[in-house]
Amino acid sequence: MSVLIEKMRSSRKVLAAYHYVPALIERGYAGKTLYIDLTNKNIESKDVTRQMKDIFVGGKGFGLWYLWNAVTPDTKWNDPENEIIISPGPIAGITQYPGSGKSLLVTLSPLTDSVMDSNVGGFFGPYLKFSGWDALEIQGKADKDVVVFIDGDNGRVTIEEVDLDPSASHLLSEQLTELMAETEHDKKNISVVSTGSGAEHTRVGMLNFSFYDLRRKVARLKQAGRGGIGTVFRDKKLAALVVRFSGLSGKSNNPADPAAIARTGVKITREINKFDDTQFRMRQIGTANLMTPMNDYDLLPVHNFKYGSHKDAAGISSEVLRSRFTQKMPDGCWVGCALSCCKAVDNFVPKTGPFKGKKVTVDGPEYENAAGLGSNCGIFDADYVIEANFYCDTYGLDTISTGTIIAFIMECFENDILNETITGGLKLNFGNAEAAMELIHQMGQGRGFGKVAGQGVRRMKKIFAEEYGGDPAFLQDIGMENKGLEYSQYQAKESLAQQGGYALANKGPQHDEAWLIFMDMVNNQLPTFEKKAEALHYFPMFRTWFGLQGLCKLPWNDIIPESNAIADSPEKIPEHVQNYVDLFNAVTGKNIDKDEMIRQSERVYNFQRVFNLRMGFGTREHDAAPYRALGPVTEEEYESRQDRYDKQLKEDVGINPEGMSTDAKVAAMRKYRQGRYETLIDVVYKRRGWNENGVPTLGHLENLGIDFPEVVEVVKKHL
Amino acid sequence: MVIMVNGKQIEWEENLTIKSLLKKMNYTFPKIVVRVNGKVVEQKKWAEFKVPDQAEVQAHHLIAGG
Ligand code: SF4
Repeated sequence: MSVLIEKMRSSRKVLAAYHYVPALIERGYAGKTLYIDLTNKNIESKDVTRQMKDIFVGGKGFGLWYLWNAVTPDTKWNDPENEIIISPGPIAGITQYPGSGKSLLVTLSPLTDSVMDSNVGGFFGPYLKFSGWDALEIQGKADKDVVVFIDGDNGRVTIEEVDLDPSASHLLSEQLTELMAETEHDKKNISVVSTGSGAEHTRVGMLNFSFYDLRRKVARLKQAGRGGIGTVFRDKKLAALVVRFSGLSGKSNNPADPAAIARTGVKITREINKFDDTQFRMRQIGTANLMTPMNDYDLLPVHNFKYGSHKDAAGISSEVLRSRFTQKMPDGCWVGCALSCCKAVDNFVPKTGPFKGKKVTVDGPEYENAAGLGSNCGIFDADYVIEANFYCDTYGLDTISTGTIIAFIMECFENDILNETITGGLKLNFGNAEAAMELIHQMGQGRGFGKVAGQGVRRMKKIFAEEYGGDPAFLQDIGMENKGLEYSQYQAKESLAQQGGYALANKGPQHDEAWLIFMDMVNNQLPTFEKKAEALHYFPMFRTWFGLQGLCKLPWNDIIPESNAIADSPEKIPEHVQNYVDLFNAVTGKNIDKDEMIRQSERVYNFQRVFNLRMGFGTREHDAAPYRALGPVTEEEYESRQDRYDKQLKEDVGINPEGMSTDAKVAAMRKYRQGRYETLIDVVYKRRGWNENGVPTLGHLENLGIDFPEVVEVVKKHL
Repeated sequence: MVIMVNGKQIEWEENLTIKSLLKKMNYTFPKIVVRVNGKVVEQKKWAEFKVPDQAEVQAHHLIAGG
């Protein structure tokens, strides 16, 4: 035991302790929620009600319900009333079906000032449940940094002060794992939730959820990235959450029909073993498999989403990233995940920052990291991407927001809205890796221009207009945020359906509600507004369901079963949808079908929309997209793909572009595209049961069974 | 002398194979299911399969994405 760990151990000061008998899990539920008030150091057990299970199911549904009851329309993200809720969902924790170990987090976001949710792997969620808790609800604020320990083996929860350094998440995860484990092998029974110093200094703080890797002998990290949940965590003076549970078995979730789960699991595991190497190679490359095709199809974000490809993209191609992953072995973030998409670069030596010259293990890079930190900033250097990825993770910065923030700053710099005097000497041109890395350190450490960058794109637009004379209209056009959240890393200009998939998403433009680019733009499977609207109803509802259950989306469509070749709606992967219905029934003993599955999601999805309304958002104006997400803002962008745009003007808009100035063509294209986006919104709202302002109708809420008086009261004000 | 590929009108040419059509469309993704007039054509036959004039071609990319 190192001196440091010994010091940590002897410094532990218990501020509050709660003893309990861990609830037995019954059909996927513990039936209890752990409530912690950090202000008063109060720890309680709450019952999970029948209504919660029937209406909200679990995971994100539970999080939204608890948050709704905790806050008022006036609550701000940094008020003590705000909560962070972590809930895994009823299916989470089974070990026989891939992708069944996710946790869902819900809070009020410092970026959007409304409800945020995030889905994350790692062992914390399942261990929390098997320690007797369907959810962890944290409210209040401590006055000094505290750690919450949940000992599921001994039925003990404590709030403690511990002498530790919360600035580097990868070290903190290691140290707390070491502190809690009795032996090396025991480390797999520990999971830590933590963040780094970047979460204290920015609004884009994320949370790392650990899972101990016995082969590498390090605590690996998965990220709850979006929306500043790590910022809320540090604002509450939480340094870490630690759970310990050592009794994991295939029966821990105590399902109604274990044989059905085993059957379904064996079937898909066989598929993965048979087809993954010739399909998406998730086991070999993970999500970085998307880098090359995205560039080939002009969909990789380049230079703040101006373009979709770049001549230097080979520098961070799928194969280049693959060549950097070490121990090329399947790598899962939860037990039994045969799709095993996690990747790591071991013994990486950073060239900059506090870990310069030291060997570290980097989790990733995944597609979003390489596209956001790399191509979108015009940087095509794999070493830079890996180092930036490492520092974002250990500082606790969301890589997606950070990438979009730096790309936006670079475009402002190139347009003379910013200069070196403002940035403190950083020449933030596209492609300047050195300056971008320094900006990440500044964000992580709360220094210099990093303090401005850490405010996020929405607030920077205001600052750049008010303080540096930027044109507000131009900043609005190129600032890639909606609802206050930065866009994730796909170029959506040529897919109207994806434009809606992004900007209509409840929490802001994250692709986890709908990813329709190929279906729409390349395969042309959604040629009409009605087809796009149907897709923008079905997929967000279907994908919401993963968040109710504690499931990972990837084993749904990153492996394709043979039956898909003759399936009616192959894009839905019907065989896998049936697997999920079967799994839910096998765990809970209920008897839902594919329709009820969508209705489960619809209840929660519409409840979240109403929650946005309650917080002062959630209407049509908040579903507007920056024009950069819809079409070419600048003449340079138009001219880079002139043939394509001229052809569209001629064939789709009915305007002959010959003899027109580029400026006039940009304007004509803009009018056309914005008109189509508005039409799309109309059709989608109708399909979703909302009025023309995006408000769910009372009839729709009644049909869904969520017409509670407090919900109706919120909605009525908007009808 | 045209064919429809994923709903878009494309000039047909003599001896147009699936392989050359995908090249022409810049469809480089390795996992594409091609149907010609509703019938799946296996990848191993792409180099010799001649796409007839007036054909309706679907080239569905099996890409899962984010
Ligand atoms: S597919 Fe990847 S992210 Fe999903 S559960 Fe498996 S290892 Fe984790």
